[in-house]
Amino acid sequence: MFSILKQEDRQLAPSPALPLGTDHGEGLGRESSEKRDEEPADFYGLGDPAAKFSQISPYLSSRGSIIKCFRDAAEEGYKAYHLDEYDEDKNPNGISQKPLRGNVTILFLDCGNGLSRDSRGRNEKAWETKRVFGQLNQRDMQHIEPPMLQYPDWKGHRWLRDEVAGFLTYYCKAPVPLKPENVVVVNGCASLFSALATVLCNPGEAFLISSPYYGAITQHVYLYGNVRLVYAHLDSRVTEMDGRPFQLTVRKLEIALQGAKSEGINVRGLILINPHNPLGDIYSQEQLQEYLDFAKRHELHVIVDEIYMLSVFDESAMFQSVLSMDRLPDPQKTHVIWGTSKDFGISGVRFATLYTENQDIANAVASLGCLHGVCGTTQYQMAQLLRDRDWINQVYLSENHSRLRAAHAYVTEELETLGVPFLRTKAGFFVWIDLRKYLHTDTFEEEFSLWRRFLDHKVLLSCGKAFECKEPGWFRLVFSDKIHRLRLGMQRIREVLGKEPQVAKTPSPCQPLEKSIQSR
Amino acid sequence: MEERFLHLEEQRVQLEQRRLEVERDHEFRMFSIFAQMLNILKQGSGASPGPAAPMSWQGFGLAPEDPKRSRTPQGPEQTFPVFYGLSNPGTRHLQGSPYLSNRGNDIKFKSGINDEGNAAYYADKYDEDKNPNGIINFGISENKLCFDLLSKRLSQSDMHHIEPSLLQYQDWRGHMFLREEMARFLTYYCKSPNPLKPENVILFNGCGSVFSALATVLCDSGEALMIPTPFYGGIVNNTYLYGNVQLVYAHLDSKITETNTRPFQLTVEKLEMALQRARSEGVHIKGLILINPQNPLGDVYSQGELLEYLEFAKRHELHIILDEIYMLSVFDESATFHSVLSMDRLPDPQRTHVMWGTSKDFGISGIRLGALYTENRDVAAAVANLCYFHGISGIIQYQIAQLLRDHDWINQVYLPTNQSRLKAAHTYITDELKTLGIPFLNRNSGLYVWIDLRRVSVRKRKLMVVVGEWGCSGNGEAFWRPDLDSLGSDSPPTHPTPVAAPSTYTRAPLRRSCCCFAVS
Repeated sequence: MFSILKQEDRQLAPSPALPLGTDHGEGLGRESSEKRDEEPADFYGLGDPAAKFSQISPYLSSRGSIIKCFRDAAEEGYKAYHLDEYDEDKNPNGISQKPLRGNVTILFLDCGNGLSRDSRGRNEKAWETKRVFGQLNQRDMQHIEPPMLQYPDWKGHRWLRDEVAGFLTYYCKAPVPLKPENVVVVNGCASLFSALATVLCNPGEAFLISSPYYGAITQHVYLYGNVRLVYAHLDSRVTEMDGRPFQLTVRKLEIALQGAKSEGINVRGLILINPHNPLGDIYSQEQLQEYLDFAKRHELHVIVDEIYMLSVFDESAMFQSVLSMDRLPDPQKTHVIWGTSKDFGISGVRFATLYTENQDIANAVASLGCLHGVCGTTQYQMAQLLRDRDWINQVYLSENHSRLRAAHAYVTEELETLGVPFLRTKAGFFVWIDLRKYLHTDTFEEEFSLWRRFLDHKVLLSCGKAFECKEPGWFRLVFSDKIHRLRLGMQRIREVLGKEPQVAKTPSPCQPLEKSIQSR
Repeated sequence: MEERFLHLEEQRVQLEQRRLEVERDHEFRMFSIFAQMLNILKQGSGASPGPAAPMSWQGFGLAPEDPKRSRTPQGPEQTFPVFYGLSNPGTRHLQGSPYLSNRGNDIKFKSGINDEGNAAYYADKYDEDKNPNGIINFGISENKLCFDLLSKRLSQSDMHHIEPSLLQYQDWRGHMFLREEMARFLTYYCKSPNPLKPENVILFNGCGSVFSALATVLCDSGEALMIPTPFYGGIVNNTYLYGNVQLVYAHLDSKITETNTRPFQLTVEKLEMALQRARSEGVHIKGLILINPQNPLGDVYSQGELLEYLEFAKRHELHIILDEIYMLSVFDESATFHSVLSMDRLPDPQRTHVMWGTSKDFGISGIRLGALYTENRDVAAAVANLCYFHGISGIIQYQIAQLLRDHDWINQVYLPTNQSRLKAAHTYITDELKTLGIPFLNRNSGLYVWIDLRRVSVRKRKLMVVVGEWGCSGNGEAFWRPDLDSLGSDSPPTHPTPVAAPSTYTRAPLRRSCCCFAVS
């Protein structure tokens, strides 16, 4: 149950059985004073979201006090950003936004559609195609009839669920048509995580997730659900078994699961993010199969978050939805999440969908649906949007991908010029960059202070801590923005890093790693 | 006339209640034995407060933590008989799904009943042309009288505006332009002595979500809020589903005594009694919920009454949650609504929280918009952190702001039309009720009348009306019912428009029932 948990040291001692990580940090000039925090090369951890808070309000319950204080670095930055948002005209010195997942490219480049007066005329010719933004302004979107203004079926209007099923069948390449009755529509993926956590776990139980991961999931499952996360920590070292940095393997999942079990934590499911946020990884079919088999072996539910599935911008990459598999290892325990926030860049519209064959779960989530309802007219617009496959295929996706590609190319070239290593990705809106050499000591305090210096220079990045990354010094940089904003942002990053004396570390064993990272 | 009738009925009711109590005691005993058996089988699965004594109907009862009991229309042949008392979580789920957690099963069961009602209505919805024998919905309190006005208004060109900021992540409390508009709107229509502040306004996708968030931050799991019965039963789910917050009932009844000058009168004495009784049983009550204008009674509290309730709450350091969602649906000059926001000085402003939404007063329940007004910064900050589960599309926020801003249209077009249509519908229904000899409470607010079917005999009709419990998903009229006897009224409507006459009820007819007349 909810209670204010005392700060506990949940870090586990490193398992002696694991050679991985024993040399971690060697030669990186770690300060001994910080050793205590970093030393355990733990491969698993347990999220304790309540641990940080002790401030009690006389007006709130104990869990209310926890909820009130729920803030993290990312949120602080987010607030700063909103107070001082960059705007070409109104606030040219404002903060250039990097960390949010919103697909800003599309949106900002869309202002020329004749509606937003102050942005009219700064559209660039090449981008004059019709886009989501314009699309939502089409005549066919302005339609109201009484059922849209009345209480809906909390799973979503049937016509919308039909459309979602058709959409997912097509884009996830499902071998057989997906069924509308397996679709539940809610106002965003956060709501889906919250609802799934609540119906799959009892208070205090947990989901397994590999870290780094999109950190907001911590709150999504905890705030209402009181469900915690068990981390399978990934790291950047490349070994025999880890062909690439931060590689997710079944072995790591096994270790984390066993660790949690030994502490008496009841793990009810596994969360996978594919394409991955923040790493940008796309799992191969074999990998997916392994993870799903692992889950089945341990009778775990699998929640697959595929919210970036259409944001694979490099044609050489192949995204495989779990819904494309001929036979799921455990279909009754496989639940897929998708939404329009990322792939259509409309995070403000609040629309997400769950696909599960398990009717118990669909119905239970639908019971919570009254708290996550989507406006009827919005449902209509989403149905219209998803139905228009010609526009999506011929206009939207190709345009979106080529812009993401261009933005990605620009940012990664700049990073290379700066000598900043990064993971080369083919999907998503972000690159996972390695700023470890700019930390004086390998601590999260250092990471945070670097993050602060970026913010002071009016550029907002997300630090690795926000993703529960085990190694300090990694940042996520979102590139889905206009080129001239990216230019400005990169310039500010350069200023900050230029002022930072790179820590004179011994010839870093990271060097080959950096190369290997870059070459991917 | 109603009062005379109620008085005559009193004796019979008492006999009836005694019979029901005996029945229920029996059911409870059977269930307790069963529960104990189950407990032995399922030891260790959750806290077991042990079987509690059943509570009497009069005065005080605890909302069943188990949703089944709060809305079981099936009768004694069901596995779960109705009884009241503290629930025993370990014994809840006889047919629990193996895929769900205990609370997941709990939640799913709600959906089970919800499905039944939904399925019955949505599968056989009345339509003049397509399904003239379909179900007419007298159960869900929706205002269907003014769709023409609203559809037209929401289709006007000033509604069709999209700009990038509307499509991106937002301040989760709502866009500032809408919070400002809402503050102005409430200042004006609640007749606030001072301008209300936008920063005290927090927006949600419906009032159900406001209840959920407030319950979660004001109460810890297992604590309770107090509410007078009968009340809009959706609140049970809103506070319970995520919050695991129970409701303690202060039962009102139809008896007229010295202190009760009208049926179902709410007095501080009754609140005191319920509070003391609950406290003596160790139930921790954190707040009081009041609905004004009341649903389903239609009562509008006088300023003096309001002050008494507020002072009662202050005396006991209870939060007070005022649901004023019907504030503009007072359709007769004989009734004057006083918002708590109109008071010069609130007894305990830091513990007074007001909610309003567009669902009822504008008849657009499908749009999903609810607002909380609270001066308490802690409460505001805490609920704000739950807001991303209850987000509203930016496009809709823009439209609502346009709607609320248009005082000319609201005052000159919408409200006069709506109120005269409500009045006409109310007059029609109450005339019919008089002809049928069905007593009712003659109030001039809300979208419903509270009718007394205690003496009406059962008659099955093909054309059925959903009256009564619908609240599993929070979308309708559900309220505490002391009786499960099967009976209904009769007289199918001979002509379908503009208002349908009361007719047979489907599943669990009520002796005392509420019927929504705002059907076009």
